Amino acid sequence: MSAVAATAPRARGSLTLWLGLLLVGLHIAVALLTLVWLPYDPAALTGGRLTPPSWEHWAGTDRLGRDFFTQIMIGSRIALIVGISAVAIGGLIGVTLGVLAAFATRLLDDALAATLDILIAFPTLLIAMLVVAASDTASLGTAVLALGIALSAIVARLTRILAKRVLLMDYITAARTSGTSWLGIVFQHVLPNIWPTLSVNFALQFGLAVIAEASLSYLGLGAPPPNASWGRLLQEAQGTVYTAPIGAIAPGIALVSLVIGVNLLADGLRDIGDPTRRGSR
Amino acid sequence: MQPLLQIQDLNLTVDGKPLVTDLSFSIAAGERLGLIGESGSGKSLTAMAATGLLPRAITATGAVTLGGQQVIGAPERVLNGLRGTVAAFVFQEPLTALDPLLRVAQQVAEPLRRRARRDGHELAGSALQREVLALLEQVALPQPERIARSYPNEISGGQRQRVAIAMALACQPQLLIADEPTTALDVTTQAEILKLLDGLVRERGMALLFISHDLPVVAEIVERVVVMQRGVAVETGPVREVFGAPQHDYTRALVVAAKAFDGALEGTA
Repeated sequence: MSAVAATAPRARGSLTLWLGLLLVGLHIAVALLTLVWLPYDPAALTGGRLTPPSWEHWAGTDRLGRDFFTQIMIGSRIALIVGISAVAIGGLIGVTLGVLAAFATRLLDDALAATLDILIAFPTLLIAMLVVAASDTASLGTAVLALGIALSAIVARLTRILAKRVLLMDYITAARTSGTSWLGIVFQHVLPNIWPTLSVNFALQFGLAVIAEASLSYLGLGAPPPNASWGRLLQEAQGTVYTAPIGAIAPGIALVSLVIGVNLLADGLRDIGDPTRRGSR
Repeated sequence: MQPLLQIQDLNLTVDGKPLVTDLSFSIAAGERLGLIGESGSGKSLTAMAATGLLPRAITATGAVTLGGQQVIGAPERVLNGLRGTVAAFVFQEPLTALDPLLRVAQQVAEPLRRRARRDGHELAGSALQREVLALLEQVALPQPERIARSYPNEISGGQRQRVAIAMALACQPQLLIADEPTTALDVTTQAEILKLLDGLVRERGMALLFISHDLPVVAEIVERVVVMQRGVAVETGPVREVFGAPQHDYTRALVVAAKAFDGALEGTA
């Protein structure tokens, strides 16, 4: 866009972005692929028990003889669904609450802030476990809802602080003097200006949600079988970790690569999206 | 005829601590009034109170009438209708006065569109673009097409202040409130902006509330001044009388300081 940006390409920024795109793209591609094609039927006993990786079974087989790579592929789909839905729920609730708090009267704002601080004092996983335990059946939907609610407190607190800082700016006063309604100010000035920081935080939350869902599944509170969540795969591999370490390593790599990928992607996107950072640094 | 802005016995307090005490003045349509005093004397707060933009922590009592409407205690809905048609702001810091994420054209277009809607017609597309460029030309910005496409961080401080003035003009206000509009600028840019403001206000017959701590700047652009010290108006009157024969000690000190500064400049030149 500007001459400054054109003459100073940001090698580091673009590398971050491309690596993030690559990792996330890979998981998305795999997740989409599982909808139409899988190497094996995930429930079929296709080989010997706990065989090591081979050309037929890229990640070996589990203790019942099912193809392990197939299950990890399905895990990608579940992780993406969980991450996106949890962040969507948490983001929607959190941003709404945060913006309301930023605009609210002092008393209401203090009350909201205190409530959020108490909520945040509880570990995300603990809140999620409480919500899951309170519902009758463990399902993917319950887990996602629980994580979304747990994440919303963190998002709300961040939104509140960021929004308050933007509200101090003269352009907000200028917008108010020219007669912009408060909803107009929220959508035109506040949200766009807090979005760069917020979106990076969403990526962190996405990572947290994926890990938390894996933890819930590991504890048996997440998606019930036959949904092959990475957390459940890890839990199943626990007993055989010395004889067949691939059972723990493969889902671990899948989990970490997705979380890191999303964070790199968010970092890269932020640098592109913010004109004041373009070409700087 | 009723004055455009009338402030009667305005008191501003925060937690019982007085910020502005028993302030009264008025601005008639087309009149130019300067509000001067050191920082912390309550100048900007007075301007905020005039448009109902005070922070919640500050309590206001007294009467503020803007365009015939009582401002203190008025609901936000009423104030919203008032702002933008009656009064518009130009701020001290040109960087924070513009949204860093919107191109100049978008920022100027918004008040233009809103003003048009208030007057009962929709302004959009190329007609809106033409209006934006016309406004940028009126505030004497070079290469208005390029500026219109720029983000605030891509143009200079003086240019940003001109954009801010264009945004205020887009509202077609009857009263322009300029809160230290030249303080953050260098001296040559300062003179240019002042000349621009002066010309625009005369041309459009707008009233002007000019807030500054800078005596010579104020003297150049307004007809009457209110001198404030620690939230109290210590002297009011036509510029020439107040500065020519200051009655109050504080005004006298201000005039002496300004003269000493001029003398020092001439001595070294």
